[in-house]
Amino acid sequence: METVLIAKNITKSFSKGINALNKVSFTLVKGKVLVIMGPSGSGKSTLIRTINGLETFDEGELNVLGIKIDSNIDERKIKKIRRRVGMVFQQFNLFPHLTILENITLAPINVQKRQQTEAEEFGMYLLSQMGIDSHAKKYPNQLSGGEQQRVAIVRALALKPELLLFDEPTSALDPERINEVLDAMRNLANQGMTMVVVTHEIDFAKEVSDKVLFLDNGKVIEISSPDIFFSNASHERSRKFLNQLDKN
Amino acid sequence: MAIKIKNLKILFLREIKTKISFKPFSFLLNTVLISIIISSLLLALNWIFFKANWSVINSNLSLFAFGSFPSDEQWRPLLWLVILSFIALINIFGPKWKWLRKNLLIIWIGSVPVGIYLLKGGFGLIPVMSQNWGGLTLTIFITICSILFSLPLGILLALSRRSSLFMIQKFSSFYIDIMRSVPLIAVLFFGQLLIPLFLPYGLEIDRVWRAIIGFTLFVSAYIAEDIRGGLQSIPKTQLEAANSLGLNKYQITRFILIPQSLRVALPALTNQLIGLFQNTSLMSILGLMELIGIGRSILANPEYIGQYIEVYIWLATVYWILCTLMAYLSKQLEKEMSSNKGY
Repeated sequence: METVLIAKNITKSFSKGINALNKVSFTLVKGKVLVIMGPSGSGKSTLIRTINGLETFDEGELNVLGIKIDSNIDERKIKKIRRRVGMVFQQFNLFPHLTILENITLAPINVQKRQQTEAEEFGMYLLSQMGIDSHAKKYPNQLSGGEQQRVAIVRALALKPELLLFDEPTSALDPERINEVLDAMRNLANQGMTMVVVTHEIDFAKEVSDKVLFLDNGKVIEISSPDIFFSNASHERSRKFLNQLDKN
Repeated sequence: MAIKIKNLKILFLREIKTKISFKPFSFLLNTVLISIIISSLLLALNWIFFKANWSVINSNLSLFAFGSFPSDEQWRPLLWLVILSFIALINIFGPKWKWLRKNLLIIWIGSVPVGIYLLKGGFGLIPVMSQNWGGLTLTIFITICSILFSLPLGILLALSRRSSLFMIQKFSSFYIDIMRSVPLIAVLFFGQLLIPLFLPYGLEIDRVWRAIIGFTLFVSAYIAEDIRGGLQSIPKTQLEAANSLGLNKYQITRFILIPQSLRVALPALTNQLIGLFQNTSLMSILGLMELIGIGRSILANPEYIGQYIEVYIWLATVYWILCTLMAYLSKQLEKEMSSNKGY
């Protein structure tokens, strides 16, 4: 079993002495799905953003795909990581001035130096897998939120990443649009993609995840398999959180 | 159908009622204003058609268009003006093919070397000194050259103002602040009088190019500020997305920042273009024979003495037509850019 991601005692503090992350440690094996849950403000987003260097941290060590980074920022190592790790954001963050296909092929052509025709073919293939290849020539704001988010997933996949990060990918969507994005993510998980997902979707987490990490106030409260976490959480704090989610 | 028309009539009447109220005071005011407008219009038309002596314009049309360009060679500036208006026409009425639209900017840029070749001569054409360039041709030449040089310079200044390198950032802020606190006419005087002093003996830049340098130095500072506004309007999340895709700084600037900021800055940039076009008239004070300069020299001719109203009304009309055309072009461009992207 190849370990893709090792986090050791990652700590990040903001100026007022508040810890955004407090000695967070976990590992992730290739082909598995890690779901990060927790109340808002618990540091979920901060944690997932440290993995590809969008956020720095003050202490601890992170090993992503064999590349080690620590609190000293090494641009070159972060670039290397970003070339192999894809990310999907809450607000899609597509480039509004480019067409869907241009959004998707921008990085493969310019970062990976692939041929334009080859990149476009692969992009179209991925789009058709998501069932949105008819939109290739449109601009992002002509698409619904769910479609935009699937485009964002394709944009990340076009770089053939070894690890995919999802930062609350369904939180900005209409309720009836959530499933089309979750289905796409389910398919990816079934194909053996290694993923880290920040989400509040319990059903999705139950079904797809191999491990659930529960975060509160920047601290890991528990890491357990979804069967145990959702039926018999070991910690009082997790049970409270799950009860709250159920009520909604 | 009949009901609809009736409804429309009622709506129209109601609109008139709300727009022009029939209270006694405002009724009086409206009548007075409307009669003033109509009578001044009649006076103006009367002057234009019966009193004015347009021979000063008719007999000097080629001067207004080409200045003192040798008459055998006047087809050259004419050809250039025709090429420019042809490009403008394609821009406004031409087909909406994507490859054509994408290459229009390159065509516009390409019109400059063509213009220089046609005006200056050499390589098979008889050389014409820049003293003989003039009229509308010179006005347009200075405008297009200055805007094409100051756009990249302005983008560069705006980007370096946000640079993380201390010296570059300070230098560009300093430059922009200086240029924005100096009147244009001072910069133009600097270009005409001081640049020759700084150049080594024997090297000379002629007056037209000194004017273009002056305008470029001045306008680029303003363009930099417009672009900076555009850059600031791009949300941070766009940078995060670009970073997470592994694009480097140069690629982010070229593919994400510049296109998006130009889109936002476009209306302001149009203002710069129109302002620049009008400001080229300042060069008549510094002895260039552009549109206003030609007008002044024609008025100095004893044959046409005292006919300055005709000349200046004619010049104002020419400026008005061209500025309206430019405003229309940029509105078209704006529409094209926002029609499908909606931001």
